[in-house]
Amino acid sequence: MNKTILNAALMLDRSKSYRRTKSFVNTLLNDYNYPYKKYLDIFIIFLIITSIMILVYGVKHPVPHWMERYDLYFVTFVFLAEYLARLWVHNDFHKLIIDEYKKSYFLRRAFDPWRALREGIAGKVRYTLTPFAIIDLMAILPAYRPLAILRIFVLFRFFKLLRYTKNIKQFIEVMANKRFELYTLLFLLIFVVLSAGIAIFVLEEQLNENINNPFDAIYWAMVTIATVGYGDISPVTAGGRIISMAVMLMGITMISFMTSVIVSAFSEKLHELKENRLVEMINKNREFLVVCGYGQMTKMFLRQMGNRNYNYIILDNDIQRVSQAIKNGYNAIYDDASRHETLVKFNAQFAKITVLCLTNSDIENIYITLNAKSISPNVKVIARVNNNAMVSKFKRAGADYLLRPIHAANSMMLMAISYPSMYKVIHAILTGKDIAIVDEVLVEANGGLEGRRIDEIDFKEKRILFIGIQGAQSDTFVFNPPMQTVLKAGDVIVVMGMQLSIDYFREYYRGSKRR
Amino acid sequence: MTQKTFLFGYGRHGIPIAEGLKKDGHRLTIVESDEANFLKAKKDEYIDIVLVDITKDADLEGLMVEPADQLICVMDDEHLNVFLTLSLRSLFPKSYILSISDSIYASQKLEMAGADMVIDLYEVSANRIHNILNKPVATKLLYQFATSGGQINFRELIIPDGSFLHHKKVESFDFRAYGVILVGLIDREKGDHFIFITSGYEHKLDIGDTIVVLGENRDLEKFQALIAQNEVT
Repeated sequence: MNKTILNAALMLDRSKSYRRTKSFVNTLLNDYNYPYKKYLDIFIIFLIITSIMILVYGVKHPVPHWMERYDLYFVTFVFLAEYLARLWVHNDFHKLIIDEYKKSYFLRRAFDPWRALREGIAGKVRYTLTPFAIIDLMAILPAYRPLAILRIFVLFRFFKLLRYTKNIKQFIEVMANKRFELYTLLFLLIFVVLSAGIAIFVLEEQLNENINNPFDAIYWAMVTIATVGYGDISPVTAGGRIISMAVMLMGITMISFMTSVIVSAFSEKLHELKENRLVEMINKNREFLVVCGYGQMTKMFLRQMGNRNYNYIILDNDIQRVSQAIKNGYNAIYDDASRHETLVKFNAQFAKITVLCLTNSDIENIYITLNAKSISPNVKVIARVNNNAMVSKFKRAGADYLLRPIHAANSMMLMAISYPSMYKVIHAILTGKDIAIVDEVLVEANGGLEGRRIDEIDFKEKRILFIGIQGAQSDTFVFNPPMQTVLKAGDVIVVMGMQLSIDYFREYYRGSKRR
Repeated sequence: MTQKTFLFGYGRHGIPIAEGLKKDGHRLTIVESDEANFLKAKKDEYIDIVLVDITKDADLEGLMVEPADQLICVMDDEHLNVFLTLSLRSLFPKSYILSISDSIYASQKLEMAGADMVIDLYEVSANRIHNILNKPVATKLLYQFATSGGQINFRELIIPDGSFLHHKKVESFDFRAYGVILVGLIDREKGDHFIFITSGYEHKLDIGDTIVVLGENRDLEKFQALIAQNEVT
């Protein structure tokens, strides 16, 4: 028996498709960065809303049969499936069993799978007791028709929305920060309502025909303190009216106090909420830039952006520079890019991220490089190096590209002095001025360039200078290759010419039109 | 060369530039106002080093600058650099002044102060980010040009006396066979501006024309030797 359980656990652990399915379901349900999660969210929200609409419609009208069946079977089934899926991905039985086996083996004690199973079940139970799990369960219950009272549980489907809308979550988080003030207010409220209720009960129970029990009295106190004043119960004695006045005053004070607590909670968090929003927005993109530091280099970079559209976000750990960036109309947040928590917020799993380390401190840039690479090796890092001695350190830290502004400027200066005419050419090429640019053209599969020999392509007529090839497989660039070389799909050819010519060349050889 | 080159500033830009200029064989004079930098230059075995207060016009006038000389302003202090450019322009209206700019705001000021050429520290590097993002393969090649540390480089060559290229049409000679690519030329008959080879006109090469070629360093060396011959062997 024990052996069967262990074998089953091992089989699950080895099964790639099982693991893949489970991690996919987990991502789909719980990972906000997963780009396709939103479709599930929209689907569930749609189900919730239709289900509630059917409930409201059913109050005064007979519900059509198909609607009833949709609500009873389809919605319930989806919710049940979701509930079970969440329960399933919450923890792994097979891992616990294998761990238990390893432990037993290590300690040389008898292997008892029940210990692991108990632990697993305890984990699942703990999950079912979390507020969200309870709401999910309650949202399934209305399907049980024999108990009509359960219909009202459809409202729990409303609460399910909490899970699927981030704004409400944020609201609750902000409120939670003011827990102390809000609790104080709540206790004060309870105290005032109870004492006023008891006082009016004692004073008017005999004289006021509307007050028959303590509940009536407390209900009156609550209505009064909230400054609602239905008037269904009102004091009839002078003593009662004095109490009313006192309660009203307390009510106004407390309401204004509560308003100010909530407002201040939001204004304190407003900045953070805005920044979180920016991070969320940027995370939705497939590809984006994280620019660290808003200094000269970043300003120059942004200025040169022109009509190229990048998705970017600027991080700086100096609040003044951040506000300057925002004033200049850029997306910037105040955060320290060298902290793990900062960069981990970005969606490195599903998006192609390029981190630009452009601060003016080499140490800072190296730290950010390491930080970015530790989050995911797939993150591309372009780092600025000021001191030439640091180049090897940056390479060791894993930076993909190094920018050496001082070095480059000095080289350009030298060239400008020694070879003035060539300087103009190179400067134009390097800064992308439209005299000539160096650009690359990808050889597309089934495109006009695939399978051609280089001397068969009329570069000259297209006013383009052919410089070299980078092969699809290799990482090395071949300068001026033999003219008999045949282009393969995936090769990149490097050319020089005016933007116009290159664009035309690209257009001409696009698609399958072989000429 | 009778032309002199004055390098103002021997700091983080000045040191590597001075080294490069020395290698290229310029007649170099280093001007410094800072005692420590002055001594550093002395230690690095430069011969013409002057220690002057560059904020004083009288001291600058004492430098004996000829109209044909080049003045290079690479002071570490950005404000001082602008001031220096301005002073030099007013004192030596005919000299060629090059200045380095540390910030995007200083570039404009330097131009207003009268620099003939301003090299912005960040312009080339910031553009490189755009290039990396949009054309990674071409960028690898491109940046080699700027740093001159790579294998493949541009070189400008003046067609020497007696070269076989004299009176040759550009199309009639296969540069690629020698491992170099002709990028463009300065045809003296048509003025001294640079013409890209892809602009489509026919060109005839003459002695004294400048051609700009692209190639690996060793091929460039060989090619430079080759064009001095009067016949291709």
